[in-house]
Amino acid sequence: MQAGGIYRRVRRASGRDSATWRMKQILATLIVIGGLSSLTAASTYALMNSEAGNPLSTASTGTLTLSNTVNAGTACFSYGAGSAGNSNPGCTALFTSTTLNYPGTPLTSKVQITDNGSIDASNLSVWMTGCSTVPTPGAPTPGGGNPCDAASGDNFALQETDLSGTPTFCWYPNFAAGACTLSAGTLGDFFTYVNSNSPYDLALTTPSGPAAGRSRYFSIVVQVPSGASNTLQGQAAVFGLTWHVDQ
Amino acid sequence: MVKLKSLLLGLMVIGAVAYFGGGGTFASFSAETTNPGSAIASGTLTMSDTVTSVGTCASTNAPTSNNFNSSTACPQMLNLTNIAPGVPSPTGSAEVTIQNTGSIDAAKLFLYAGSVQSSLTTALTGGASVSTLPIAALRGAVNKGDSIVVSYGTQSQTFVASAAVAGGATAIPVTAQNAVYAFPIDSSVQDSNGNSLFSNQLSTGLTSGASVSAFAVSSLSGAIASGDTLVLTSGSNTQTFVASAPALAGATSVSVSPQAANFSYPVGATFIDTVTRNTNCYDTKTATAGGSPSKGADLNFNPTVGNPSCGTLLLWVQETTGGKYYCWTGQGSSPESANGLCVVPISVHPSASISSGAKSTISLASVNGNIQNNDTLKIAEGTKSDTLTAGQVQRFATGVTSLTVSGTLANSYTTAAVITDTTAQGLLNSDQANTITNFDTAHNYQVGKIQLAPILTDGTTDTANPVQLSNGASRTFQIGVYMPAGSGIPQNFLQGLQSTFGLGWHIDQ
Repeated sequence: MQAGGIYRRVRRASGRDSATWRMKQILATLIVIGGLSSLTAASTYALMNSEAGNPLSTASTGTLTLSNTVNAGTACFSYGAGSAGNSNPGCTALFTSTTLNYPGTPLTSKVQITDNGSIDASNLSVWMTGCSTVPTPGAPTPGGGNPCDAASGDNFALQETDLSGTPTFCWYPNFAAGACTLSAGTLGDFFTYVNSNSPYDLALTTPSGPAAGRSRYFSIVVQVPSGASNTLQGQAAVFGLTWHVDQ
Repeated sequence: MVKLKSLLLGLMVIGAVAYFGGGGTFASFSAETTNPGSAIASGTLTMSDTVTSVGTCASTNAPTSNNFNSSTACPQMLNLTNIAPGVPSPTGSAEVTIQNTGSIDAAKLFLYAGSVQSSLTTALTGGASVSTLPIAALRGAVNKGDSIVVSYGTQSQTFVASAAVAGGATAIPVTAQNAVYAFPIDSSVQDSNGNSLFSNQLSTGLTSGASVSAFAVSSLSGAIASGDTLVLTSGSNTQTFVASAPALAGATSVSVSPQAANFSYPVGATFIDTVTRNTNCYDTKTATAGGSPSKGADLNFNPTVGNPSCGTLLLWVQETTGGKYYCWTGQGSSPESANGLCVVPISVHPSASISSGAKSTISLASVNGNIQNNDTLKIAEGTKSDTLTAGQVQRFATGVTSLTVSGTLANSYTTAAVITDTTAQGLLNSDQANTITNFDTAHNYQVGKIQLAPILTDGTTDTANPVQLSNGASRTFQIGVYMPAGSGIPQNFLQGLQSTFGLGWHIDQ
């Protein structure tokens, strides 16, 4: 009994039956777990790595926009107030109905079209948005004729000029260098051929511009024909021109 | 995780002491020897990032003192201006060289989109309440609720954005909390939710069967672009709507194309914009309004919501290391082109005047893209233009390069003429896949980093190679962008926009 007790104490002191055996087992397990977690998980942060970046690269698109200036007026921009999607339908009228027109007396309005963006335009085109007649406001006895009639209506010319106003090329009614022959064309005829379905490319070469920051100059000329009948008295033609550029 | 590791390490130490130390109480004998003076020196794993003709950035110079350098001191790859759709820029690419400047081989080299991040411009005071993070221009956009991690060295703290912030912003409002550390100026500020989708919750419920033309929200957590797909969810019920107008972050209503609700979605139902992400790439309008020429800020038809320019610009990364080619991203990368060439446009000048007549070779001043055999080359000067057919493959090249061609020129040209590859441009003009936005969302720090295995031969990589960037070695890439010309698609909405973006490079031991 005594010997057995001593034997048990000896075994418990140093072997599997020792009093601390279970505790040691737990602690040894914790060593393994702690070691594994430390070593394996540590690999995700203990490994070396390095990083560099190229921040703040920039790529900026340019702009392709128009300004439209009638005579000595204020420039109207394609993106200005009243515009939508780089198209501005509200620019200054070329003529007003208060500007009375007499047979054989041409009225001229100058238009400066400028690419005020940063990208060159490859092409400039124009079309007539419509041509209709209304009685001249305040006219006592409108004649009832149609100044938009292609055969007998008001004369019309689209003349390109240089900065000083000197004619350089006639786009309508002639298609030739120099000045237009006003009597050869009419508003109605122009509208028949140049409308939103068939824009007129004002190009002799490609690209025809205007380049960024550059302008092209035009004179728009209308006239009640010299031999106009009385039916055109007190009748106003209402028309518009749209200018368009492409990249 | 860190706490758990600390706990386990502590237990390990206790266990070891108890186990071995306890053993000492019953081991009567002991012996001991010592070998003093051993020294173990660790190697280094560092890298440099060089943009040819611009500068070099070293990871070791990171202001955040952590070997991760994405500061604005790193060189800018590209600074392209006056881009027009369908017109390759003569400076549309940059050469980037990544070098392992350390003493240890890198087993992995990664490429990914820059993170939505910035850096502190004012130090935080440890222990003081922080409700706003003052930062340098934010690279990307932050959505309300995003986790914003501020870090310096081994210190970091996560804040929560209390409002959405647009790209370029110089402050991020956050839910107030005390700074746990005195984060100095230049500490990294990163949106760990960057490049992810964001969600919102209805503030007014929908009625089943009733027409829905708008979602009411208390405050939109991010910007939504017109046309974005919005998926509304409540439990197992879901319905897809399309945003009919752009909505800015913070808005209280999102217009959608009308349709009848298929369920009575309650207040709190979640909708996710499956398109718009707060990517690293973000758009701003160019310059300030006024003057000539017109700038983006003058225009009223080029909204930045949804970063449309980032979503249109095509990105390529063409590796050229050691004369071997591989297209890592861009057209030609998936599937990888047989000769490893990305589709990259060119815009180059002849190195000498070219006379009219039949041509078998032309001499180019340099080649800033890739020409494939049989590509159509356009040569233009002023109002003159002609085409030739390439008779060989020609890759990026500096200096005068002779190119085999066939065809007859009707005109003669000076060295001011511009030669472009219309075949490459045609391929790119219809490409809507390889955009910067798509790159940002597919390959960012969180997901989809591209692992750059060494090139074996043109178009193939050595994926089994255990070293992707050995110490002292470098790898070279041509990186560029192109604005495609959408055939018949008006692109005025892209006028006057500046896309800002970045790339990240990472090596692991």
